[in-house]
Amino acid sequence: MKLNIYLAGVGGQGLVTFATILGDAAIRAGYKALIAETHGLSQRGGSIDVHVRIGDVDAPLIPKGGADVVVAFEMLEAFRAINYANENTVFIVNRRLIRPPATKQKIPSVEDLENMLRGSIKNIYVVNAYDDAIRLGNVIYENMVILGALYSIMKLGNYIPQSIIEESIKTNIKRDTDKNLKAFAQGLKYGNNNNNKP
Amino acid sequence: MNNCVIKLMLGNHAIAHGALEAGVAVAAGYPGTPSSEIIEYLLDYGREFGVYAEWSSNEKVAFEVSYGAALAGARSIVTMKHVGLNVAMDPLMSSAYTGVRGGFVIVSADDPNMWSSQNEQDNRWVGLHAYIPIFEPYDPQSAKDFTKLALEFSEAHLHPVMIRSVTRVSHVRGPVTICTPAIPKYAKDYVKDPRRHALIPANARLLKEELLKRWNNIENDVEKLPHNYIDGGRDLIITSGVAFTYALEAVKNYGVKASILNVVTPVPLPRKTVIDAVSKANKVVVIEEGDPVVEQQLKAMLYDEGIRVPVLGKMENIFNRVGELTMNSVMEGLSKALDLINPFISLKPAKANYTPPPRPPVFCPGCPHAASFYELKVSTAKAGVKPVFSGDIGCYSLGINNPFNEQDLLTDMGSSLGLGMGIYHGTTGKTIVVSIIGDSTFFHAGLPALVNAIYNKTPMLILVLDNRVTAMTGGQPNPTSMINIEDVAKSMGADYVKTVDPFDMKRAQEVMSEAIAAVKRGGVAVVIMKRGCALEAVRLYRNYVTRYYVDPDACRACGICYNLIACPAIVPLENKKAWIDPNMCVGCSVCAQVCPYNAIKPEGNVKEWLNTWAKM
Repeated sequence: MKLNIYLAGVGGQGLVTFATILGDAAIRAGYKALIAETHGLSQRGGSIDVHVRIGDVDAPLIPKGGADVVVAFEMLEAFRAINYANENTVFIVNRRLIRPPATKQKIPSVEDLENMLRGSIKNIYVVNAYDDAIRLGNVIYENMVILGALYSIMKLGNYIPQSIIEESIKTNIKRDTDKNLKAFAQGLKYGNNNNNKP
Repeated sequence: MNNCVIKLMLGNHAIAHGALEAGVAVAAGYPGTPSSEIIEYLLDYGREFGVYAEWSSNEKVAFEVSYGAALAGARSIVTMKHVGLNVAMDPLMSSAYTGVRGGFVIVSADDPNMWSSQNEQDNRWVGLHAYIPIFEPYDPQSAKDFTKLALEFSEAHLHPVMIRSVTRVSHVRGPVTICTPAIPKYAKDYVKDPRRHALIPANARLLKEELLKRWNNIENDVEKLPHNYIDGGRDLIITSGVAFTYALEAVKNYGVKASILNVVTPVPLPRKTVIDAVSKANKVVVIEEGDPVVEQQLKAMLYDEGIRVPVLGKMENIFNRVGELTMNSVMEGLSKALDLINPFISLKPAKANYTPPPRPPVFCPGCPHAASFYELKVSTAKAGVKPVFSGDIGCYSLGINNPFNEQDLLTDMGSSLGLGMGIYHGTTGKTIVVSIIGDSTFFHAGLPALVNAIYNKTPMLILVLDNRVTAMTGGQPNPTSMINIEDVAKSMGADYVKTVDPFDMKRAQEVMSEAIAAVKRGGVAVVIMKRGCALEAVRLYRNYVTRYYVDPDACRACGICYNLIACPAIVPLENKKAWIDPNMCVGCSVCAQVCPYNAIKPEGNVKEWLNTWAKM
């Protein structure tokens, strides 16, 4: 088994926590996992990416064009992640636009961005993790909704039992653990609901 | 394997845990990406086992603290980023002469591709320069294992050993088998031996002879380390560090037929191991992260041995010499070197017809630096001066961007003062210099430079952006929590010294104007802009945070708030009026103070919140 999951988003969206929970769960389930992240200035609202590799892997980075899944926490970052995708790559995109500060360039609307993505990518799932998180009371649950979406859409349950993912959430998120578990459960609907099929 | 478990671990945490398992007693470091998590781990988990760990004021001091402990006989470790090692070079060079009594490991975390650095120097060269062996791990597990090995090797040879990590080892998480830490090995007492520990020339000359003998033993003993050799045919790939993982995947997944030799020690190369492998090969490809350090040594070695075999690597531009290795660049290089078809060429990439605007890092919502840069801009304009903004290393380096453009040069820790003085004298005193430096950087390398400015009477405004922590590397504590910068500057004899809160915008601009006047009169002015890092403030006092909102009826769409403060929480709407994202605003009040129409209003008790924040 080998799965290359490329995460793209904006500093502060919880990509590293997401990756840690996923990698920790994979290891608990008996797989190897490698996660490559960049720290430092990327906390400051810049673009960030995290490479998650599960299974028979040695190198830390996913090759360009080599992602099995791209998980975009933000719509503009989905476009930036395209270098890592090939024509078979599955895209899971959070329907959220975070405007880059201090740009003069006009940003298309969320609808236009979504249409452009759907027009270019065959296997795409657009999820409303931001709205789901806000309904749970805070945008910080967004990452766990997206994790639920990834887990169900990619059928990760074939490798990592749900109880192990939940165990990993409990270990790695100390604050508001219940809400985070709920957020994960919310996200599961995106793969289990046939209306979201591309 | 008693009491051992497999855990997902960051490479840096694995290094720290390896040190704990090897009985490290004293640990010191200065924060710097990608090295900081090593000391953080030892502070968090080492103390309960009796380890002494500290954040030192700079890398040279950190080095000396650990080196001194090792001279006494304790096992010790010192950690820093690659450029930090430059600061520690003075004691480092001598440490090879004196040797040590307890295991002493120096960790240099290099940053190929400069993800968070001013250069991408390869510190394996330092091993050749200083006669210090380099161990190079390739993943988190080897990071732990090699740290343990390095401490043992150091103690066996009574000689310092360096670990060279890189971003893609230090900041990679992977499975690591960790076991119970050993009891820290401290020294009972310091046994005096000035013949060995006091490097007056007469002693140093004798010690150089001994050093060369030790180096000879080290060259022999690195043969016994667990280098990997994987037999796979007549082409040989030699790797060191993270390059090993790319070579493994090239052979496993991308159809490369070659043997692989991965060396634990790129310096010194295990001569016999290398020659044995090369003797079986028709062609040798060297893959390494950074400069051709292994390749150059290998070529010299083959010349000595009279072996003629093609050696291809970075010196032949087979692999990229700028930036870091990737699977793609490694396959491109291997395809050239071994006449293969690069499998990535036939890959059908995904494409889209839209390129989003770049999203560079910016000052966080509520960052006091943004306020300081705004105030500096206004104050210098009011004073009619066009200063050179001499910048420095820290979050405030981001002041280089729009709308501030107030970091004209920055090269190294503390350079704001030193380069500023040079620019002043180099332009016959015609330049008004504003040096902008953070609190941690001030204590790190600013102090001797301030001494110099005062002693040599070089007029300049030194703006110390005191946000109470070493913010850029994750908010580590530093001496500003104990030592008052204003007192320091006053006691040194600076002509004008004031502390002001950048969130008190009117007062801050008055102080800056006074300071600029003092500089114009030929004085050294030090202004401390004191206000805690917003990220840390929210972390510490989460429940007190108040927020601001824009009253859409009062807003006249002038754009001053979002154009001149550039706070990421303030978004211009279609009608050019401002909107504040309540999920991002941390209630710093700066936008409300610059709004000419009082359109930005607080929700909740702002005074109480800002007073709480000011306790940092």
